[in-house]
Amino acid sequence: MTGEELEARLREIVAGYPSARSAMLPCLHLVQREHGYITPEGILAVAEAIGVKPDEVESIVTFYSMYTQEPKGRYVIKVCTSISCYLRGCDDVMAHLEQRLGVRKGETTSDGRFTLEAAECLAACGMAPALQVNGHFFENATTERASGLVDYLANGGDPEAISSAWQPTSDGRGMATVSAIGAKSEQPATGSADGHAKIQQNGAHEQ
Amino acid sequence: MGEQQDLVTVTIDGREISVPPGTLVWEAARRLGIEIPIYCYHPKMDPLGACRMCFVEVKGMPKPMTACTTTVMPNMVVSTDSPMVKKSRRGTLEFLLINHPLDCPICDKGGECDLQDFTLRYGPGASRFDLSKRHFPKPVPVSENILLDRERCISCQRCVRFCQDVAMEDGLVLLERGYKTEVGVEVDAPFDSIFSGNVVEMCPVGALTARSYRFVTRPWELKRTGSVCGQCSVGCNVLVDVRVNRLLRQYGRTNDSIDEGFLCDRGRWHTDPVNSAERLRTPLIRKNGKLEPATWDEALQLVGRQLRETVSQHGTASVGGIGSTHTTNEEAYLFQKLLRAGLGTNNVDHYHGRFPTVERNGLPWVWTDSIAGLEKARVIVLLGTDTYHRQPIIDLRIRRAIRKGTRVYVVTPEPARLDRLSVGTIRYTSGQTGTVARALLSTILGEQLTRGDFAANHAESVEALRASLVGTDLDALARTAGADAEALRALAREFATADGAVLLYDEMATREPTGATLPQDVLHLAQLTGNFGRPGAGAGPLMEDNNSLGARDMGLLPDQLPGYLPLADGAALGKAWGMEIPQAAGKDYDAMLGGGVRALYVMGADPARHATPEQLAHLEALDFLVVQDLFLTETAKRATVVLPVVAYTEKDGTFTNTERAVQVVRKAMQELPETRPDWQVLTSVANALGMDWRYRSPAEILAEIARVVPLYAGVSRRGLGMQGARWPFRTAEAGADGKAPLVGSPCLTWDMVEHGVANSAGGAEPALPRGYGEQS
Amino acid sequence: MTDTPGATPTNNSSSLPLGPTPRFVTRTFDVPGIDRIEVYRANGGYEALAKALKQFEPDALVDEVKKSGLRGRGGAGFATGVKWSFLPKDNPKPRYLCVNADESEPGTFKDRMIMEVSPHLLVEGTIITSYATKVHRAFIYIRGELPVAEQQVSRAVREAYDAGLLGKNILGSGYDLDITVHRGAGAYICGEESALLESLEGRRGFPRLKPPFPAVVGLYGSPTVINNVETVSTVPAVVTYGAEVYATYGTEKSKGTRIYCLSGHVERPGNYELPMGTPLRTLIEDYGGGVRGGRKIKAIIPGGSSTPLLKPSQIDTPLDHESIAAAGSSLGSAGVVVLDDQTCIVGAVLRMTEFYRDESCGKCTPCREGTFWLVQLLERLEEGHGKESDIPLLADICDNMYGRCFCPLGDGATLPITSSIKLFYDEYLHHIRAHGCLVGPRARGVAVGAAS
Repeated sequence: MTGEELEARLREIVAGYPSARSAMLPCLHLVQREHGYITPEGILAVAEAIGVKPDEVESIVTFYSMYTQEPKGRYVIKVCTSISCYLRGCDDVMAHLEQRLGVRKGETTSDGRFTLEAAECLAACGMAPALQVNGHFFENATTERASGLVDYLANGGDPEAISSAWQPTSDGRGMATVSAIGAKSEQPATGSADGHAKIQQNGAHEQ
Repeated sequence: MGEQQDLVTVTIDGREISVPPGTLVWEAARRLGIEIPIYCYHPKMDPLGACRMCFVEVKGMPKPMTACTTTVMPNMVVSTDSPMVKKSRRGTLEFLLINHPLDCPICDKGGECDLQDFTLRYGPGASRFDLSKRHFPKPVPVSENILLDRERCISCQRCVRFCQDVAMEDGLVLLERGYKTEVGVEVDAPFDSIFSGNVVEMCPVGALTARSYRFVTRPWELKRTGSVCGQCSVGCNVLVDVRVNRLLRQYGRTNDSIDEGFLCDRGRWHTDPVNSAERLRTPLIRKNGKLEPATWDEALQLVGRQLRETVSQHGTASVGGIGSTHTTNEEAYLFQKLLRAGLGTNNVDHYHGRFPTVERNGLPWVWTDSIAGLEKARVIVLLGTDTYHRQPIIDLRIRRAIRKGTRVYVVTPEPARLDRLSVGTIRYTSGQTGTVARALLSTILGEQLTRGDFAANHAESVEALRASLVGTDLDALARTAGADAEALRALAREFATADGAVLLYDEMATREPTGATLPQDVLHLAQLTGNFGRPGAGAGPLMEDNNSLGARDMGLLPDQLPGYLPLADGAALGKAWGMEIPQAAGKDYDAMLGGGVRALYVMGADPARHATPEQLAHLEALDFLVVQDLFLTETAKRATVVLPVVAYTEKDGTFTNTERAVQVVRKAMQELPETRPDWQVLTSVANALGMDWRYRSPAEILAEIARVVPLYAGVSRRGLGMQGARWPFRTAEAGADGKAPLVGSPCLTWDMVEHGVANSAGGAEPALPRGYGEQS
Repeated sequence: MTDTPGATPTNNSSSLPLGPTPRFVTRTFDVPGIDRIEVYRANGGYEALAKALKQFEPDALVDEVKKSGLRGRGGAGFATGVKWSFLPKDNPKPRYLCVNADESEPGTFKDRMIMEVSPHLLVEGTIITSYATKVHRAFIYIRGELPVAEQQVSRAVREAYDAGLLGKNILGSGYDLDITVHRGAGAYICGEESALLESLEGRRGFPRLKPPFPAVVGLYGSPTVINNVETVSTVPAVVTYGAEVYATYGTEKSKGTRIYCLSGHVERPGNYELPMGTPLRTLIEDYGGGVRGGRKIKAIIPGGSSTPLLKPSQIDTPLDHESIAAAGSSLGSAGVVVLDDQTCIVGAVLRMTEFYRDESCGKCTPCREGTFWLVQLLERLEEGHGKESDIPLLADICDNMYGRCFCPLGDGATLPITSSIKLFYDEYLHHIRAHGCLVGPRARGVAVGAAS
């Protein structure tokens, strides 16, 4: 998007709301998507489009945890660390990913490919521990499956293609989700919900 | 005060009080003299409820309530010191202190810190927090004048709400969230607001400190004097903070009808004129072409002798005086009295805008509405004036009006700071302010947009006005002014039809070539459209200096006596002075500087600074020039005698602000050795001229003014109290003896204009009390 | 609290019109492609809307929902129809509906499922709710971290517009409605309804002072209804089956079904739609397959992490508002988290408290500073460096927070701590005396009894 196209798109978003300021979050989502992170120019563009002062936009950007003012890796892996994932071993997954990627949580690999982050409850408690890659869920994670995921992504895999899908639970009386990667080696020592999971082979390259 | 019917009665700590519905429990307690500690709440901002400090117990409620967000209910029973309240407040203070550094001993705020004070009164004796505090680099500059220490910040949001909601300027915002919350600035939005210093004063802790004040003093070493700021014509009420005879800062001293407790940075921190090392410290006399130090005696004798000689050799028309727009009313009065009674001349003037015919009430030389009235206006037009730079606290009041929905138009040659918040800006060619006013007027008359009965009652003057506009129309005038005709037309229509519109212009715009009829035209605009006689409607000039209006009121004019009395009506005044006031008009400012006099007395003015080369030549060719000032000004450098005087913080007196509120200035510090207040100097000069003046204090001079100047009838130092009164004033009680508080008026009314000042008492508008005697 | 906590369903199963465990919300969730409008409609979708528009005046619909006994599914459990009726009748300002899809209470994942699996159900419920409350502009505020849910709902809204189910003159009824899908950006606090409004107005998600309540002064200062995704998605079933049928299920005061989010140490975690009043044991053992690995239960969080813990002996408590309240906790968002006997309680509570510290908006002092302090204390305890005075100190900090904070977030943060100290005092003490955990990977030393 050129600067002008971006401005036009921002104006369009603003026009969709009864009050211009309501477009704050959607506009910031857009500039973040366009620039990869919230740049000073992005803040000025949003301030201009909405008709507020840049300092007010800055205040919003720092309040909401999804906005970042620093560039991130191509794949942002978020590990949910809240209670349900904690109970099912998210700390092990996180530790494994830290070791595997050679970064600590919050950091980006030196090649700029991966950013590893902790996330607050991602509404995936029934499929814990849960990961997100660029917004796509990867659930019932284990250290092994997380490793498989990194391999898959390292080889240019599309995170969307392996995103979790909702399935009825084994008794057909409830719903949970399954992820579609790296589960073949492992039928839950920790007992996951994916007894019925259809494991799609989708080109993940295991080492 | 209106009817007392709808009051709500509540009991706080066993004491009953009746307050209007909607009053906050905090306010009700305050009226009972009960302190409820607050951090986030600020009486000039909406309740926030964030700091959780102002807990009270309300009977029937299971949890403690915040007094700053709870409004009174009938028969409410409130306790401010129950065990529940005590524990809750202790809890909040403990929370605030866990991340607060222990640097009280070196903190500028120590001694006037609400966290310190409330901890002492309501807090835990010791902290149970034995873990690691949050740390930030400190301090960081957030503007040229202000430093931020985020470790001390208690996130009360006062500063950010002031910047965003009150000042509506780029400035401080909250960044991050939760325990990481901090105050900060956005890199692309520098905190360069003229209102910035208010956040330092509002900050309840030492998180925001002023660079100029850092590590300079402790609050308990300050001598604080309630006075009035002398930086501009707004007249904000201040506490003058002095340490060891050095002016350190001015703090707000809330006057709701003028400043609401806010100050601009000029008023707050511009201490230079007072503290400057350049100030004159001794009289100077020109000897062999050079100004040499002299004694007061020598200097005063020389001035007396020279002035007497000039008069005796060349007549009274050969001497004149240029007075000051900075000195007090008392001094301005004495100055013109010295010229008129002491030297027998009407050659007296000051540097000011052009106002052709001035009526006894000062019209059109006075704003017909008030600062507080701006909040009631639906439309405000700023014509040729940038209030942000010239009268910042009026600008701040306009911003409050904007928040309430007032539509502001900025009509100026150059962009103004308020442009961003205005609903419309109209630009015109510099020097064409008068043309713009006439363009608006021609639309009002041409489109029959008059309202009310002014036009009917003043058919003659309206006809004259019409006649003066024959042969031109808005489009032609807009072309001349270089302004957008359609925008002006729309503005005229809105001004004429709005439910309350105010037009303000800069006094100095009348000096432009097109400005001769500007004052009268603007007044007509307001009168013809019915925007007159009620708060939130009106017109008038914004004055140049702190006592520009007072200087005029006191008669620093060649053709009018104090109170705008015509010279022909000066018999009574002359009698009071024991002489006959000459009937012929004196020479005005330009005539005196144009070679019209041989001896010139300049007090608190610097005509050389504004002078043309010809005028400079005349100044230098004077037989005798005496200059009375704080500094060796450009004019003083050319003087025969220079008399050093004191700053406004070093003397008593009164100032009259741009809305004609008369307020008391108090001596806050000792004068520099060998300097004297202007009124004393004038008294000595008068006596050197052979008069017998015995003024011992400005209060005595004010008493004389109240006696002999009808415009200021009834004014007394005591009656003005701590917060002054706005003209037309009257005393609260009959049979005024100068001791009863004065009551000001919210705006000029027809009654006041038509029937003169004397009959104005009890006019159509209810008088507003001005909080006499209150000092916040 | 009720005198007869709904320990038993109001009817016995033989007389139940839809069998013992009907799925009012998730009935069609296992139909492949139900997220598409044609599949949704082929399975009875939007028939409730047609019925509502045809057979009900808006006020009658409000009454119907009142009659159904439907209560808010966000956490507070306030009666939905009553909430709707709080809208002032004579306010000339436009009214708004905001669907709270900012699901983020730890242990809760039902709204995400509804949005991802059957977004049209949410859209249909939104339209009916808007019609009932005479709203012509609705916003669905979806949590920013749920992009798939946002895409699904956005697509459903587009499909609904294309099908004449949104926009002008819906289904020829003369009723107009526009829906805007709005994405949050990462802030748990925006699930609090007034913070959601602030956020939707483009501000920091700080809760607002109440009163005035959103029903009177809400979005843009206008009367505003705010309902949770599950609540809104239940409305079509109330219309379809009628309030009476709906109210047949559940308990006296907690009607209908509820989607229970089961997670933690169970064999089969997942979302289970069951009648209100279903005992915890049934959910955990029959549906969840019991505790993972055959272990014992140590504690149960019944309604998301902001609710007090229950102990194993309370496993027969029925899952309805009154019974859980009587047991000393709260049904909240129905996020049931099971902790097994190898769980270090201090570690688990620390993790929950970290959440509140990070998600506190920072507006009020007790929450901002209190959560910061609590986390540091719990960290010290968990690492074995605690002091005995830390336990009463934790309790007192909670006491200074509870009921003192600006909004319920701070209150909620204290509940896992106060309840766990009450239930597991000895385990806290063990951390101090043995300088380590009692159970779990970092277990250290022998069990230590409580002092005295």
